[in-house]
Amino acid sequence: MLNKKVISAVLGIMCFALTLGICVQIRTVKGTNTTVSNNYEENNLRAEVLRYKERYDNKYKELEKAEKELEKERQNSTKDNSALEEKEAEITVGNKMIGLTDVTGAGVIVTLSDSKKDSSSVLNPSTLLVHDVDILSVVNELKNAGAEAISINDQRIVPTTGISCGGNIIDINGEKVGAPFVIKEIGLPEQLAGLSRQGGYLELLRGYSVEAELKKSNNITIPKYTGVITYKYAQESN
Amino acid sequence: MKGKIKKGKVTMIITAGIACFVLALVMTMQFKIVNETDITSIENMREAELTTELANWKSKYEETNQKYEETVAKIEEYKQTKQSNEETTKILDEELQQVNMILGKTDVEGEGIEITIRETDNEEIEKVTADDLLLIVNELKNAGAEAISINDERIINMSDIVDISATFIKVNGQRILAPYVIKAIGNPSYLESALTGNGGYVDEMKKIGQDVSIEKPNKVKILKYNDEMKIKYME
Repeated sequence: MLNKKVISAVLGIMCFALTLGICVQIRTVKGTNTTVSNNYEENNLRAEVLRYKERYDNKYKELEKAEKELEKERQNSTKDNSALEEKEAEITVGNKMIGLTDVTGAGVIVTLSDSKKDSSSVLNPSTLLVHDVDILSVVNELKNAGAEAISINDQRIVPTTGISCGGNIIDINGEKVGAPFVIKEIGLPEQLAGLSRQGGYLELLRGYSVEAELKKSNNITIPKYTGVITYKYAQESN
Repeated sequence: MKGKIKKGKVTMIITAGIACFVLALVMTMQFKIVNETDITSIENMREAELTTELANWKSKYEETNQKYEETVAKIEEYKQTKQSNEETTKILDEELQQVNMILGKTDVEGEGIEITIRETDNEEIEKVTADDLLLIVNELKNAGAEAISINDERIINMSDIVDISATFIKVNGQRILAPYVIKAIGNPSYLESALTGNGGYVDEMKKIGQDVSIEKPNKVKILKYNDEMKIKYME
């Protein structure tokens, strides 16, 4: 008799847990559905965003093709004239320096990751994270050491690139990137490696137990800027 | 009697086992659904986010489209002027001029703002450092600045701003001294609002007693980069 009671109680508890589980699940699914399908206005907007994104992607592909053709046409038009060839070369080098073409060379790769330390073990957990200011400072030090091209998680640094903080992600060239941050740069590796010197910024970061790693490499490829630089306000003056 | 109890127990245990199994299954399903719910994807954005996202893609599309049309026009021009060196030179010069402008090899002018930071005599107030200038320049870039200079040192792609001892700051390897005048060309109200208001860097500097002012002249003139630009290591 006693045994039966215990078993019934166990079964009862189990049934209760099962119901609870199902309830939670149904609620989660319902919650997901509301964001997807309940709001007509949002759905329209979402479709519009996707449409423009697709239009942009297609146009960008066309632009890439046109730019390659332009380069070829430019080379064609200038090949038998040394004065013209010189100008053509100047444009090519200029585009490399701006960041409009892929480049390769020797350099260093710096990787910054948030600390693995337990955030409750320090007074200010914010110091365990990599911030926009940290990336800005590392990039500035690399420029100081003579870097010729820099990218952060494959976002190329161009003259108009700003780095800003958007919550727990960082915004570079209007694209969102998250930790770990892989900063690639081309330049004289020995000089760039000076970044991990005593008193340098990487050591400072390590002091906060942020993980900062520096690796030399003879073959680094830095991708081009995937956007368009157009000036609306600045004009050439004499 | 004994056998009967055993039989009942076995049924109970089996029932309990099935219940446990179903429960586990349901839980797994639930976890999977929660995992698949990617909060950063377009599917889960709210109206306000979607509106900004749409404006962002629209302007990106328009910029790209404009650039595409310019590029196609240039290809045509090159094709048509194949025979004439003079004509080709003209198009080349046009292209080169655009490249040089973005590089910072030409003087430019346009709407924008001028920020002046004066050193104060009060020794209790923190001195202006390279980091202050670096952060202001970054904020200006975030706000869409097209050209920037500090004390007429043009900020180019690979410009650095560093402290050399406690006495002076170097930009592009050239030492500059207070007062620091930062010029930027771009939409004046965007540029100004990036530095002022709650959390704006210039307002933060003012709060600790530093002497900073922002002006919006009709025309800002920014000088070109003064040195040679060379690349040695990249291909």
